[in-house]
Amino acid sequence: MVLLTIVSFSLSFLFPGDALINLSGQINTSPEQLIQLSENYQTENSIFMQYYSYLGHILNGDLGLSMSSQTPINTEIANLLPATIELSMVALLLSMVIGIPLGFIAAIKHNKTADNVILSVAMIGYSIPVFWLGLLAILIFSIVLSWLPSAGQISLLFEIEHVTGIQFIDILLSDNAYKWQAFQNASEHIILPACVIATAPGTIFIRLARTSMLEVLETSYIRAARAKGLTFNQIIYRHAIRNALVKIIRHVGLQFANLVTLAMVTEVIFSWPGIGRWLIESIYQRDYTSIHSGLLVLSCFIFIVHILTDFIYAALNPLARDNIHGS
Amino acid sequence: MVVLMMKAKRFALNKQAINLTLALALITLLSACSSEESLSLSNKSLVYCAEGSPESFNPQIITSGTTVDATANQLYNRLITFNAKDNSIKPSIAKSWHVTGDGKMVTFYLRKNIAFHHTDYFTPSRTLNADDVLFSFNRILDESHQYHQVSGGSYPFFQSVQLRSLIQEIERINDYTIRFKLHRSDSSFLANLATDFSVVLSEEYGQQLAKRNERQHIDVFPIGTGPFKLKEYKVGSLIRYYRHDQYWQGKVELEQLVFDITPSNTGRLTKLLTNECDVVSYPIAHEKIVEHPNLTLESVTSFNVAYLGFNTQKAPFNNIKVRQAIAYAINKKSIVDTIYSGKAEIAKSLLQSASWAYDDKVVDQIYSITKAKELLKEAGFENGFEMDIWAMNVQRPYNPNALTMAKLIQSDLKDIGVEVNIVSYEWATFLQRVGKGEHQTVLLGWTADHPDPDNFFTSLLSCAAVGTGNNSTLWCNEKFDELLQKALKTGNIEKRKVYYSQALAMIAQEMPLLPLAHSKRYQARSNLVRGNILSAFGGIDFSTVTKVAGGSN
Amino acid sequence: MAREKIYQEEEFPSPFLQLWQIFRKTPVAMTGFVCSIFLITLAIFSPILTPYSAVESNLDMLLLPPAWDDNGNLSFLLGTDDLGRDMLSRLMSGASLTFGLSFVVVLISLAIGVILGSLSALTSGLKASFLNHFLDVILSIPSLLLAIIIVAILGPGLSNTLWAIVMVLIPQFIHITRNAVKEEFSKDYVLASRLDGASSFRILRYSVFPNIIEKIVSQATLAQSAAILDIAALGFLGLGAPIPLPEWGAMLKGGIDLFYIAPWAVYLPGLAILFSVVATNLVGEGIRHALKVHKES
Repeated sequence: MVLLTIVSFSLSFLFPGDALINLSGQINTSPEQLIQLSENYQTENSIFMQYYSYLGHILNGDLGLSMSSQTPINTEIANLLPATIELSMVALLLSMVIGIPLGFIAAIKHNKTADNVILSVAMIGYSIPVFWLGLLAILIFSIVLSWLPSAGQISLLFEIEHVTGIQFIDILLSDNAYKWQAFQNASEHIILPACVIATAPGTIFIRLARTSMLEVLETSYIRAARAKGLTFNQIIYRHAIRNALVKIIRHVGLQFANLVTLAMVTEVIFSWPGIGRWLIESIYQRDYTSIHSGLLVLSCFIFIVHILTDFIYAALNPLARDNIHGS
Repeated sequence: MVVLMMKAKRFALNKQAINLTLALALITLLSACSSEESLSLSNKSLVYCAEGSPESFNPQIITSGTTVDATANQLYNRLITFNAKDNSIKPSIAKSWHVTGDGKMVTFYLRKNIAFHHTDYFTPSRTLNADDVLFSFNRILDESHQYHQVSGGSYPFFQSVQLRSLIQEIERINDYTIRFKLHRSDSSFLANLATDFSVVLSEEYGQQLAKRNERQHIDVFPIGTGPFKLKEYKVGSLIRYYRHDQYWQGKVELEQLVFDITPSNTGRLTKLLTNECDVVSYPIAHEKIVEHPNLTLESVTSFNVAYLGFNTQKAPFNNIKVRQAIAYAINKKSIVDTIYSGKAEIAKSLLQSASWAYDDKVVDQIYSITKAKELLKEAGFENGFEMDIWAMNVQRPYNPNALTMAKLIQSDLKDIGVEVNIVSYEWATFLQRVGKGEHQTVLLGWTADHPDPDNFFTSLLSCAAVGTGNNSTLWCNEKFDELLQKALKTGNIEKRKVYYSQALAMIAQEMPLLPLAHSKRYQARSNLVRGNILSAFGGIDFSTVTKVAGGSN
Repeated sequence: MAREKIYQEEEFPSPFLQLWQIFRKTPVAMTGFVCSIFLITLAIFSPILTPYSAVESNLDMLLLPPAWDDNGNLSFLLGTDDLGRDMLSRLMSGASLTFGLSFVVVLISLAIGVILGSLSALTSGLKASFLNHFLDVILSIPSLLLAIIIVAILGPGLSNTLWAIVMVLIPQFIHITRNAVKEEFSKDYVLASRLDGASSFRILRYSVFPNIIEKIVSQATLAQSAAILDIAALGFLGLGAPIPLPEWGAMLKGGIDLFYIAPWAVYLPGLAILFSVVATNLVGEGIRHALKVHKES
């Protein structure tokens, strides 16, 4: 984490333009304000002091102003990050719910037609560029079939008060007259982008599940179960799945990072009001303050999820727990 | 079978299965809900897909068409306005007016009972009176006015028509009468006052904000007398307007008006096709829209011009021969055919044939590579040079695709050895930077705010306009300005025509910009929308729009 | 008297040849390989092969649909875009940009990464653990995000994109080289060489590398498919190749505006990207499969 802050801090120097302006984001300042700003960020002192003051600002929640819109970045991020979290979580869920069972099936039917079919589909899903997939999805499901809307988080006519930022929770919390309509509308809006994002990680989960299940099926305790006389279904449901799942959990962290990146690109295509789209727009507009603050927040977020999944894995798997304490 | 059921129960303990069943249950529950409520919501609301975010909520301080569209006719009214049918001036906030014989005094008689918006952030205690008109205009004219410097202190339209040097003072005769005293007579004065920029703000609101030390909010949380009031604004995303229930011109049908900001052309059309938007600005794929049974393509002949402007303060474009050389090398016909699909007039000059000041005899730049090369040689650039063309990435009424136009010019100029670099930014940033003169050449244009031809000349090429950012050529020629002044002083159309012809000839000779095309303005809408939105001049207007009960939403 | 070979020597093909033989037997992998060779040829020879120029416009032939459509023209097999440029030529030139560059990028990062990785495998102590930590952090950031960051610093443009992706892929190669070398070092034959007095460098070059080369190649194919997708993604976001260049991702971006009037401008570049990534993945799968079979036999 510390490393991330160092990287992000150095970014403000690496970007073209005055470092102080890049840090604070206030253009159009008068000379007196400039002096006060430089005192704020301690540009007169050594680089360590500057870094220290930068850390201080971050811990206070002050991420500076966006250079293009001149609004404080922390409020913008507070508005946008939950939308991305919502989308990523739904996509993660989808990819796991669809990918893992498919992987298990492929492992069980190893080397038969079902296995090969699933693997080929997985290969294509993994190779398809996500932005193209998004465009095709809009074409098929929004324009040709008119089943689902093509952009946004919810129809603009609904006014849902922003409480947490996560649309579904906000809808349930609001006292809008059209609550159920809004809920249904929001679900319609999230399906397409979530499915598009879930494709690539889903195929990876298929492979992971397949490999993991194959490994588990080879183990001695499964053989013992078979020798015991348990039926096939019993073996699968009672033993194999749980053990195979555990192995997969530790990859979720890495997959999530991958997923968030895909979400960034998908947000641009579906105009989803999340942090990914905002970050990419900031890059296009050369809004340096937004860029490095956004990157910091995003990387921290990914990092935290990574650590969380490590904990969950350790909690679920007694074997891993030993490794932490042991050699 | 029973065994399997037991196993299924075990399976159900699996996390994913629980989530899956929950989700399925929720979705089936929801789809059973009735859609009657959403129908009523959408009947009274209109979603308009706009191509960009507004720079501010006060048209006084900007000139961008996007901002005017979003704010001028929605939030505000003016003293006078234009009659859409014959472009004459008709009353608005002022119910009548009187101009003295020498043209130096103009008196406006205001209506009574015009109510201001009532919002979360402001409650008016009185109706509109002369103080509000004074406030709105003195803010622009009086440098010591407490609101003059708020939001930057720049009033580009008014600066370019030199309103400050024209108006001697504004006198308050009584609560409902205002008199403008002018230094000289000016035949475009009334037209300028009828443009979208001359809105009337609330003086009471101004006082309140000043007391709370929040003066900048006047342009961010606006108050006006227009048919809609601001409810919510999410930068880059949406503007939500609610109906102004006490609108003085009568009941507004729409309860809610939402601007969905979608810069992507394909995105807007997609939203129109999927019913996420009811009306769409600057549509592409006109044939598709015309074919579609539920959509209509509206168009209006708008007074506009697209041009390639040369930054006359930057080398090599301070050299007139270089400018002329580039002008000879550009194939206007192929641009009109490619970009406008042939549906625009090739521009011989700034004015189009429909304008009364149009002069057929103006020398037009023909397409000639040899002449271009000759001129380049004379200028000393025989081997060509490198240059930038700044092109915007949004649609404008005068230019549906500036980037592609830049690409065409790029390949045109290759023929004379000039290398072109195409530069682009997000629209508001683009305008800002062009205003500062960061460009070498720029593809821009102008949509007239009123039918008087002065609007084209003064706002674009006068010396006064250089400071406002509208004169992207940074060209300042005193003789030219003199001609414009003379044309304004007289009310005699024949005399004015002479002056304007001379002005056009000067532009053709000096070539600060190369006029390219005059285009129609298009809009696509769903057939459920009724009422007129587009007008030949200025911004769009939703006050008379209704929606018919439709099929699905 | 010519000495005839009396004994039939058994051929002991090198490990590489062994792998090749297994590889050749899997039809799927071979199709992938053939496609990759096709793409590489396109990438190298496209300036000669393309029927028209990829950047010059034919203003009389705007927006032609592909030849199988009614309005299409046989001389423009895949249609034209909004500036009259032939889609087929653009796609072929794009091969050298999207596919060819990904190849180059992978080669560069492979070279640098392997060197750095072996060096770090040799060192130990504080330096090594700092490097490990740093690497872990970088590896946990997905490649596209990192590439976007670097492009944000350097500014958009084709060369900056290349450097960004090279920098993104290097850690992967460092990681895999380091692990592979460390693994080999714990094996007996290395111990034997060391006892013989060979220097670390010698061991690396002659003993270890031939054994880890398959792992590196397999990682290289993974890296290449990632590189293709990343180059295309950066082009799509407008951060990569500048406007006239026919990079597939940038073509897709330009095609969006033409979606309703010329949908082939959207379909074709996407298909091209899909095709090249699938080909690369098939080759990679084939190599990995061959490795597995080889190990098991």
